[in-house]
Amino acid sequence: MSAQRTDRTRTITPSVMRATWLVARHELVSAFRDRQTTLYAVVVPVVLYPFLFWAMIQGAFFLQGARERTEVELALVADSRAEVPNELADALSEDPGRAGLDRIDVAPLERVADATSARARVRRNGEDAPEKSDAVLLVEDGGRADSPGEGVGSSLFFDSTDPESELARTRVERRLPEFAASLREAAAEARRTDPEELAPLRVEVAVDVAANRERGAYLLSFLLPMLLVVMTVLGAFYPAVDMTAGERERRTQETTLLLPVPRAAVHQGKILAVCATAIIATGLNLLALGFSAGHLVALAQLGPEIEIDLPFQAFAAIAPLALLFALFVSAVLTGIGALARSFQEGQALLGPVQMVFILPAMAGVLPGMELTPGLACVPVLNVVFAFRGLLQGRSMPLEYAITAVSLVVCSAVAVVIAMRILSRESAPRGSWIARSIGRARAAEEDSI
Amino acid sequence: MSAAAIRARGLEKTYVDPRGGRVEALRGLDLECSSGEIFGLLGQNGAGKTTTLRILSTTLSPTAGSAEVDGVDVARDPIEARRRLGFLSGTTGLYPRLSPRETLAFFGRLHGFEKDELDARVEELVRAFAMEEFADRRCEGLSTGQRQRVSIARAVLHDPPVLVLDEPTTGLDVLASSAMIDFIESARAGGTCVLLSTHVLSEAERLCDRIGILHGGRLLACGPLDELREKTGKVWLEDVFKELVQHARETTR
Repeated sequence: MSAQRTDRTRTITPSVMRATWLVARHELVSAFRDRQTTLYAVVVPVVLYPFLFWAMIQGAFFLQGARERTEVELALVADSRAEVPNELADALSEDPGRAGLDRIDVAPLERVADATSARARVRRNGEDAPEKSDAVLLVEDGGRADSPGEGVGSSLFFDSTDPESELARTRVERRLPEFAASLREAAAEARRTDPEELAPLRVEVAVDVAANRERGAYLLSFLLPMLLVVMTVLGAFYPAVDMTAGERERRTQETTLLLPVPRAAVHQGKILAVCATAIIATGLNLLALGFSAGHLVALAQLGPEIEIDLPFQAFAAIAPLALLFALFVSAVLTGIGALARSFQEGQALLGPVQMVFILPAMAGVLPGMELTPGLACVPVLNVVFAFRGLLQGRSMPLEYAITAVSLVVCSAVAVVIAMRILSRESAPRGSWIARSIGRARAAEEDSI
Repeated sequence: MSAAAIRARGLEKTYVDPRGGRVEALRGLDLECSSGEIFGLLGQNGAGKTTTLRILSTTLSPTAGSAEVDGVDVARDPIEARRRLGFLSGTTGLYPRLSPRETLAFFGRLHGFEKDELDARVEELVRAFAMEEFADRRCEGLSTGQRQRVSIARAVLHDPPVLVLDEPTTGLDVLASSAMIDFIESARAGGTCVLLSTHVLSEAERLCDRIGILHGGRLLACGPLDELREKTGKVWLEDVFKELVQHARETTR
């Protein structure tokens, strides 16, 4: 066969624009024939992220709905001389036009001796005490007994580390000024005077009954659980790719498979190594953030009323769950990494997978969610909310046990699946060796 | 000649091609190699050489038939088969972040060596393959020839009765190739059975006691070089090979 052209007309060099276009088209065709580019440029944005964001928005709506439906308890107390407006309890209990939502169950008025007694009525740390309330509104005498309804002061006692107490504070702080304004207008009208001259109900201060240390623990309870998940995933990410696709790329996989030991031992060893790296990364990061959080808070000037201590007890309590979670993550990442043919492809595959872990972990920063028996069955969320609860000093043996069982089951399933994928790689049919030989053989037959 | 160190009976291997087709890489291969013998497998790319060697090394399992290494069935007892086999190919790379000494120690531990015994064996291999200068450097920083020496040491660490070498001189320079040939000859002298796959016909002519020509997953001919010459009427191995393959192609048409 001759390579000489039959038509020997001279060729013309294309213009720069056309050459640019031809090169770009060639590169695009190559790029989109690359699975990673297609995955990141098309599949992930079109399928995965919209789904994850949809799930997050649904979750946010769900939480918002749950918050609106949550009824909080408010104790209305007053000192012996204070005159409490009759309509106060009704005004606080509900927003007009939002029946059934954002409700406050206002307990009948009680007389208390002083602010200390009022403070003691705030329910602390989820304690189950019927005589206590999520927040306490103390109405005090303003010293204007000659002028009913005028000059009455109020103090709101709440616990900033308790989501329901925080909810009660938000609702009271929204409704009380509105009620005060209407009361002032009514009083002014009755006296035929300017409302600006009256101060019938002063909204004084909101008193946080939480100790500085409790506020510090509460702050950590939002940061550390998310960090636990993020660092476990990031800690496992590179070893998982390196020990699977990376080993194949370095051509050491077959070397490992020649070891005179059961293949299961080789695969388990890999998962264990990935898990160990994840645990080390997570442990060191949690400790580092725990140690430095106090300084960070001081630098961020969040206020002197936050005191951060390293929560060793919570660390010790979460350790078994964190180990199980690390095993779960490691098995998932190692199994998926084993599907890749090269390190680069492994990274591309695991990128979206790590988001599947990290995005739900962000739910950990949403206030008002607690570990329930149902939530304890959901991997990722369960470890996040268990850690949060432990950092806040909550006692939740049932939820903790369910979380542990759930993580054991998930880890076991993930390990079994990962082992199957890894075994498939090293076993006869469907293996990369078989595939590559199959390709070579097919190419040879073509050439023959 | 002593008892068969490698024996394959009716070995078949079928792959599903990524394009959906069925590829028969091996179609009933029979093979026997003895201790103290170098057996050369020759064939084009895709003839079935690598598949045969990988079935023997237990990284692949046969679709049908059986294979034994030193009397151990590779499908029934793959771990014991791996104990009795040293395997070396272009795809058995070295762990780049380990030193040669660490690599040997790792394999030695998994081969069940006791610590003292292992230390002594590693030192013996370091000296035997002249690795003293680089034994503690990471493998990723070694030259091709140095890596080849480490790979050989890794393959013979447990002193296997059978050595399977898949194109062992590919990519090596003249000196390294020569060292590899010396090693293969010394293995035979030590009573080891060496199964060798190669494209370098001069190597096969020099080394092999018997040669098997594979084509399309079948053994076309097998025997000492002189016997093959006699059978084909050709002198050079290259011509012998071409004659046998050409004949096989004409027969299958």
